Amino acid sequence: MQLPPFWTLVEAHGDELLVHARRVAGDQHAEDVLQDALLRALRAYPRLRHADHLRAWLYRVTTTAAIDAHRARRRELPTDEVPAAATHDRYDEGAFESLIAPLPDGARDALRLRFIDDLDYEGIADRLGISAVAARQRVSTAVRTLRERLAA
Amino acid sequence: MTPLPPALLESVASAAVRDGLADAVFTRLSTPIGRLLVVQGDRGVVRVGFEEEPDDGVLAEVAARLGPRIVGSDRELTGTRDALDAYFAGEGDPHELPVDLSLVAAPFRRVVLDTLHDEVGRGQVVTYGALAQRAGNARAYRAAATACARNPIPILVPCHRVLPAGGGLGAYGGGPERKRALLALEGAPTSAR
Repeated sequence: MQLPPFWTLVEAHGDELLVHARRVAGDQHAEDVLQDALLRALRAYPRLRHADHLRAWLYRVTTTAAIDAHRARRRELPTDEVPAAATHDRYDEGAFESLIAPLPDGARDALRLRFIDDLDYEGIADRLGISAVAARQRVSTAVRTLRERLAA
Repeated sequence: MTPLPPALLESVASAAVRDGLADAVFTRLSTPIGRLLVVQGDRGVVRVGFEEEPDDGVLAEVAARLGPRIVGSDRELTGTRDALDAYFAGEGDPHELPVDLSLVAAPFRRVVLDTLHDEVGRGQVVTYGALAQRAGNARAYRAAATACARNPIPILVPCHRVLPAGGGLGAYGGGPERKRALLALEGAPTSAR
Protein backbone atom coordinates (compact mmCIF):
# COMPACT_ATOMS: atom_id res chain seq x y z
CA MET A 1 0.00 0.00 0.00
CA GLN A 2 1.26 3.47 -0.75
CA LEU A 3 -0.30 6.52 0.82
CA PRO A 4 -0.48 9.58 -1.41
CA PRO A 5 1.79 12.50 -0.47
CA PHE A 6 0.01 14.24 2.41
CA TRP A 7 -0.07 17.65 0.78
CA THR A 8 -1.83 16.24 -2.28
CA LEU A 9 -4.76 15.56 0.04
CA VAL A 10 -4.51 18.97 1.66
CA GLU A 11 -4.52 20.71 -1.72
CA ALA A 12 -7.42 18.59 -2.95
CA HIS A 13 -9.65 18.86 0.13
CA GLY A 14 -8.38 21.82 2.18
CA ASP A 15 -11.08 24.22 1.01
CA GLU A 16 -13.96 21.93 1.88
CA LEU A 17 -12.31 20.99 5.18
CA LEU A 18 -12.28 24.66 6.11
CA VAL A 19 -15.99 24.83 5.31
CA HIS A 20 -16.50 21.75 7.48
CA ALA A 21 -14.43 23.29 10.29
CA ARG A 22 -16.63 26.42 10.13
CA ARG A 23 -19.74 24.28 10.38
CA VAL A 24 -18.57 22.27 13.37
CA ALA A 25 -16.50 24.89 15.19
CA GLY A 26 -17.93 28.21 14.04
CA ASP A 27 -16.18 30.90 12.00
CA GLN A 28 -14.19 32.23 14.93
CA HIS A 29 -12.40 28.96 15.69
CA ALA A 30 -12.44 27.27 12.28
CA GLU A 31 -8.90 28.10 11.17
CA ASP A 32 -7.29 27.09 14.48
CA VAL A 33 -9.28 23.89 14.48
CA LEU A 34 -8.30 23.05 10.92
CA GLN A 35 -4.64 23.80 11.59
CA ASP A 36 -4.71 21.51 14.61
CA ALA A 37 -6.58 18.86 12.62
CA LEU A 38 -4.06 18.87 9.77
CA LEU A 39 -1.16 18.44 12.19
CA ARG A 40 -2.95 15.61 13.98
CA ALA A 41 -3.65 13.99 10.65
CA LEU A 42 -0.01 14.35 9.60
CA ARG A 43 1.12 12.78 12.87
CA ALA A 44 -1.19 9.82 12.42
CA TYR A 45 -0.74 9.51 8.65
CA PRO A 46 2.09 6.95 8.44
CA ARG A 47 0.21 4.68 10.82
CA LEU A 48 -2.90 4.42 8.63
CA ARG A 49 -3.40 0.86 7.59
CA HIS A 50 -5.06 1.57 4.27
CA ALA A 51 -5.35 4.40 1.78
CA ASP A 52 -9.15 4.27 1.39
CA HIS A 53 -11.57 7.01 2.37
CA LEU A 54 -8.82 9.50 3.14
CA ARG A 55 -11.15 12.42 2.58
CA ALA A 56 -13.69 11.03 5.05
CA TRP A 57 -10.85 10.40 7.48
CA LEU A 58 -9.76 14.05 7.24
CA TYR A 59 -13.34 15.12 7.93
CA ARG A 60 -13.37 12.93 11.04
CA VAL A 61 -10.03 14.25 12.27
CA THR A 62 -11.35 17.81 11.80
CA THR A 63 -14.54 16.99 13.69
CA THR A 64 -12.51 15.48 16.53
CA ALA A 65 -10.23 18.52 16.66
CA ALA A 66 -13.32 20.73 16.89
CA ILE A 67 -14.71 18.68 19.78
CA ASP A 68 -11.41 18.79 21.64
CA ALA A 69 -11.01 22.52 21.07
CA HIS A 70 -14.50 23.06 22.38
CA ARG A 71 -13.79 20.97 25.49
CA ALA A 72 -10.51 22.78 26.07
CA ARG A 73 -12.29 26.14 25.90
CA ARG A 74 -14.91 24.93 28.36
CA ARG A 75 -12.22 23.78 30.76
CA GLU A 76 -10.77 27.26 30.72
CA LEU A 77 -14.04 28.69 32.02
CA PRO A 78 -14.32 28.96 35.79
CA THR A 79 -16.77 26.23 36.64
CA ASP A 80 -17.11 23.59 39.27
CA GLU A 81 -18.44 21.15 36.75
CA VAL A 82 -16.17 18.13 36.38
CA PRO A 83 -14.69 18.33 32.86
CA ALA A 84 -16.31 15.92 30.49
CA ALA A 85 -14.06 12.93 29.85
CA ALA A 86 -11.30 14.29 27.65
CA THR A 87 -10.41 10.88 26.37
CA HIS A 88 -11.78 11.25 22.89
CA ASP A 89 -8.52 12.22 21.31
CA ARG A 90 -8.44 9.15 19.14
CA TYR A 91 -9.21 9.52 15.46
CA ASP A 92 -11.55 6.57 15.39
CA GLU A 93 -15.26 6.66 14.91
CA GLY A 94 -15.88 6.54 18.66
CA ALA A 95 -15.51 10.29 18.99
CA PHE A 96 -17.79 10.88 16.06
CA GLU A 97 -20.38 8.45 17.41
CA SER A 98 -20.33 10.04 20.84
CA LEU A 99 -20.70 13.46 19.27
CA ILE A 100 -23.78 12.47 17.29
CA ALA A 101 -25.24 10.15 19.96
CA PRO A 102 -27.84 12.66 21.22
CA LEU A 103 -29.36 13.16 17.76
CA PRO A 104 -32.38 11.27 16.45
CA ASP A 105 -31.77 8.17 14.31
CA GLY A 106 -32.53 9.83 11.00
CA ALA A 107 -30.08 12.66 11.65
CA ARG A 108 -27.35 10.26 12.76
CA ASP A 109 -27.79 8.13 9.64
CA ALA A 110 -27.51 11.20 7.44
CA LEU A 111 -24.34 12.38 9.20
CA ARG A 112 -22.70 8.97 8.99
CA LEU A 113 -23.45 8.73 5.29
CA ARG A 114 -22.06 12.21 4.77
CA PHE A 115 -18.95 12.16 6.92
CA ILE A 116 -18.03 8.50 7.44
CA ASP A 117 -19.13 7.02 4.12
CA ASP A 118 -18.23 10.24 2.38
CA LEU A 119 -21.29 10.28 0.11
CA ASP A 120 -22.54 13.35 -1.70
CA TYR A 121 -26.16 14.44 -1.28
CA GLU A 122 -27.37 12.36 -4.22
CA GLY A 123 -25.69 9.33 -2.70
CA ILE A 124 -27.26 10.01 0.68
CA ALA A 125 -30.64 10.54 -0.99
CA ASP A 126 -30.35 7.16 -2.69
CA ARG A 127 -29.48 5.36 0.49
CA LEU A 128 -32.24 6.99 2.53
CA GLY A 129 -34.86 6.95 -0.20
CA ILE A 130 -35.40 10.69 -0.03
CA SER A 131 -34.70 13.57 -2.43
CA ALA A 132 -31.26 15.18 -2.68
CA VAL A 133 -32.73 18.44 -1.39
CA ALA A 134 -34.15 16.64 1.62
CA ALA A 135 -30.82 14.89 2.19
CA ARG A 136 -28.96 18.18 2.18
CA GLN A 137 -31.52 19.63 4.56
CA ARG A 138 -31.28 16.69 6.90
CA VAL A 139 -27.47 16.93 7.05
CA SER A 140 -27.46 20.68 7.55
CA THR A 141 -30.15 20.57 10.25
CA ALA A 142 -28.21 17.85 12.07
CA VAL A 143 -24.97 19.81 11.84
CA ARG A 144 -26.71 22.95 13.10
CA THR A 145 -28.21 21.06 16.02
CA LEU A 146 -24.78 19.71 16.92
CA ARG A 147 -23.25 23.12 16.73
CA GLU A 148 -25.90 24.60 18.98
CA ARG A 149 -25.28 21.81 21.46
CA LEU A 150 -21.55 22.40 21.37
CA ALA A 151 -22.03 26.12 21.83
CA ALA A 152 -24.46 25.61 24.72
CA MET B 1 -16.19 28.17 -1.33
CA THR B 2 -13.61 30.31 0.42
CA PRO B 3 -10.18 28.99 -0.43
CA LEU B 4 -7.84 27.98 2.34
CA PRO B 5 -5.71 30.97 3.41
CA PRO B 6 -2.06 30.41 2.35
CA ALA B 7 -0.94 31.61 5.79
CA LEU B 8 -2.79 28.70 7.40
CA LEU B 9 -1.00 26.21 5.16
CA GLU B 10 2.35 27.86 5.86
CA SER B 11 1.82 27.56 9.62
CA VAL B 12 0.85 23.92 9.32
CA ALA B 13 3.95 23.23 7.22
CA SER B 14 6.25 25.16 9.57
CA ALA B 15 4.88 23.37 12.62
CA ALA B 16 5.29 20.06 10.82
CA VAL B 17 8.93 20.78 10.01
CA ARG B 18 9.62 22.06 13.52
CA ASP B 19 8.10 18.96 15.12
CA GLY B 20 10.00 16.63 12.79
CA LEU B 21 6.78 15.43 11.15
CA ALA B 22 7.73 16.15 7.54
CA ASP B 23 9.47 13.52 5.42
CA ALA B 24 10.00 16.16 2.72
CA VAL B 25 9.02 19.74 1.88
CA PHE B 26 8.25 21.08 -1.56
CA THR B 27 7.92 24.47 -3.20
CA ARG B 28 6.91 25.71 -6.65
CA LEU B 29 9.18 28.23 -8.27
CA SER B 30 8.70 30.36 -11.40
CA THR B 31 11.81 30.50 -13.56
CA PRO B 32 12.75 31.54 -17.11
CA ILE B 33 12.56 27.86 -18.11
CA GLY B 34 9.09 27.41 -16.67
CA ARG B 35 7.70 26.46 -13.32
CA LEU B 36 9.82 24.07 -11.25
CA LEU B 37 8.68 21.80 -8.45
CA VAL B 38 11.52 21.47 -5.92
CA VAL B 39 11.31 18.75 -3.27
CA GLN B 40 13.73 18.65 -0.37
CA GLY B 41 14.27 16.05 2.36
CA ASP B 42 16.43 16.11 5.48
CA ARG B 43 19.62 15.56 3.52
CA GLY B 44 19.01 17.94 0.64
CA VAL B 45 17.07 18.46 -2.57
CA VAL B 46 15.85 15.08 -3.72
CA ARG B 47 13.81 15.93 -6.82
CA VAL B 48 13.29 18.80 -9.24
CA GLY B 49 10.33 18.49 -11.61
CA PHE B 50 9.72 20.46 -14.78
CA GLU B 51 6.25 21.84 -15.33
CA GLU B 52 5.22 19.08 -17.77
CA GLU B 53 5.59 16.51 -15.03
CA PRO B 54 2.41 16.28 -12.96
CA ASP B 55 3.09 17.41 -9.39
CA ASP B 56 1.23 14.48 -7.89
CA GLY B 57 3.44 12.01 -9.74
CA VAL B 58 6.66 13.76 -8.74
CA LEU B 59 5.58 13.97 -5.10
CA ALA B 60 4.47 10.32 -5.16
CA GLU B 61 7.95 9.29 -6.37
CA VAL B 62 9.47 11.07 -3.41
CA ALA B 63 6.84 9.69 -1.02
CA ALA B 64 7.69 6.14 -2.11
CA ARG B 65 11.29 6.70 -1.07
CA LEU B 66 11.26 9.19 1.82
CA GLY B 67 7.76 8.67 3.23
CA PRO B 68 4.28 10.11 2.64
CA ARG B 69 4.46 13.04 5.07
CA ILE B 70 5.20 15.61 2.39
CA VAL B 71 4.22 19.23 3.00
CA GLY B 72 4.33 22.32 0.82
CA SER B 73 6.01 25.50 2.03
CA ASP B 74 7.71 28.42 0.32
CA ARG B 75 8.90 29.75 3.66
CA GLU B 76 10.63 26.57 4.82
CA LEU B 77 12.55 26.42 1.54
CA THR B 78 13.51 30.10 1.41
CA GLY B 79 17.24 29.33 1.18
CA THR B 80 16.74 26.92 -1.71
CA ARG B 81 14.42 29.33 -3.51
CA ASP B 82 16.86 32.22 -3.09
CA ALA B 83 19.78 30.15 -4.43
CA LEU B 84 17.77 29.12 -7.49
CA ASP B 85 16.47 32.65 -8.07
CA ALA B 86 20.05 33.95 -7.92
CA TYR B 87 21.18 31.27 -10.36
CA PHE B 88 18.49 32.21 -12.88
CA ALA B 89 19.39 35.87 -12.40
CA GLY B 90 22.88 34.96 -13.61
CA GLU B 91 24.66 34.80 -10.26
CA GLY B 92 26.27 31.85 -8.58
CA ASP B 93 25.91 28.15 -8.98
CA PRO B 94 23.19 26.43 -6.98
CA HIS B 95 25.36 23.36 -6.60
CA GLU B 96 26.30 24.58 -3.12
CA LEU B 97 22.81 23.37 -2.24
CA PRO B 98 22.99 19.87 -0.77
CA VAL B 99 21.41 17.18 -2.92
CA ASP B 100 20.16 13.75 -2.00
CA LEU B 101 20.45 11.17 -4.77
CA SER B 102 18.48 8.49 -3.00
CA LEU B 103 15.96 8.32 -5.87
CA VAL B 104 18.75 6.93 -8.03
CA ALA B 105 18.77 3.19 -7.43
CA ALA B 106 21.62 2.06 -9.70
CA PRO B 107 25.01 2.53 -7.95
CA PHE B 108 27.02 3.52 -11.03
CA ARG B 109 24.42 6.08 -12.08
CA ARG B 110 24.57 7.53 -8.62
CA VAL B 111 28.37 7.84 -8.86
CA VAL B 112 28.00 9.52 -12.27
CA LEU B 113 25.54 12.09 -10.92
CA ASP B 114 27.58 12.64 -7.77
CA THR B 115 30.69 13.27 -9.84
CA LEU B 116 28.82 15.63 -12.12
CA HIS B 117 27.40 17.52 -9.16
CA ASP B 118 30.77 17.84 -7.41
CA GLU B 119 33.08 18.47 -10.36
CA VAL B 120 31.37 20.23 -13.24
CA GLY B 121 30.66 23.82 -12.31
CA ARG B 122 28.84 26.70 -13.91
CA GLY B 123 30.11 27.58 -17.39
CA GLN B 124 31.88 24.24 -17.86
CA VAL B 125 30.80 21.39 -20.12
CA VAL B 126 31.88 17.77 -20.30
CA THR B 127 31.25 14.91 -22.75
CA TYR B 128 29.39 11.76 -21.75
CA GLY B 129 32.64 9.80 -22.23
CA ALA B 130 34.70 12.15 -20.07
CA LEU B 131 32.03 12.05 -17.39
CA ALA B 132 32.03 8.24 -17.43
CA GLN B 133 35.80 8.30 -17.09
CA ARG B 134 35.70 10.67 -14.16
CA ALA B 135 33.13 8.40 -12.56
CA GLY B 136 35.60 5.54 -12.85
CA ASN B 137 34.65 3.68 -16.03
CA ALA B 138 35.66 5.32 -19.29
CA ARG B 139 33.77 2.79 -21.42
CA ALA B 140 30.46 3.36 -19.63
CA TYR B 141 29.45 6.46 -21.58
CA ARG B 142 26.07 4.91 -22.36
CA ALA B 143 25.42 4.36 -18.68
CA ALA B 144 26.49 7.96 -18.10
CA ALA B 145 23.95 9.06 -20.71
CA THR B 146 21.24 6.98 -19.04
CA ALA B 147 22.13 8.45 -15.66
CA CYS B 148 21.63 11.92 -17.12
CA ALA B 149 18.42 11.02 -18.93
CA ARG B 150 16.94 9.84 -15.63
CA ASN B 151 18.48 12.49 -13.41
CA PRO B 152 15.94 13.20 -10.66
CA ILE B 153 17.51 16.57 -9.79
CA PRO B 154 18.04 18.48 -13.04
CA ILE B 155 19.71 21.91 -12.83
CA LEU B 156 21.25 21.18 -9.39
CA VAL B 157 22.88 18.05 -10.76
CA PRO B 158 23.89 19.75 -14.00
CA CYS B 159 23.13 17.24 -16.75
CA HIS B 160 22.62 20.18 -19.08
CA ARG B 161 26.44 20.52 -18.99
CA VAL B 162 26.97 17.09 -20.51
CA LEU B 163 27.30 17.08 -24.30
CA PRO B 164 27.86 14.40 -26.94
CA ALA B 165 31.48 14.08 -28.15
CA GLY B 166 30.28 14.20 -31.77
CA GLY B 167 29.02 17.77 -31.44
CA GLY B 168 25.61 19.31 -30.94
CA LEU B 169 23.43 19.63 -27.87
CA GLY B 170 22.38 16.05 -27.41
CA ALA B 171 19.37 14.97 -25.45
CA TYR B 172 17.96 16.46 -22.27
CA GLY B 173 15.25 15.25 -19.92
CA GLY B 174 13.64 18.67 -19.92
CA GLY B 175 13.91 19.02 -23.71
CA PRO B 176 16.76 20.47 -25.82
CA GLU B 177 15.39 24.02 -25.62
CA ARG B 178 15.85 24.07 -21.87
CA LYS B 179 19.35 22.65 -22.20
CA ARG B 180 20.24 25.41 -24.65
CA ALA B 181 18.69 28.06 -22.41
CA LEU B 182 20.58 26.87 -19.32
CA LEU B 183 23.92 26.75 -21.15
CA ALA B 184 23.28 30.21 -22.61
CA LEU B 185 22.44 31.51 -19.14
CA GLU B 186 25.79 30.16 -17.92
CA GLY B 187 27.70 31.52 -20.88
CA ALA B 188 28.81 27.99 -21.72
CA PRO B 189 29.37 26.47 -25.19
CA THR B 190 26.42 24.57 -26.63
CA SER B 191 28.53 21.99 -28.41
CA ALA B 192 31.60 19.94 -27.45
CA ARG B 193 33.27 20.55 -30.85
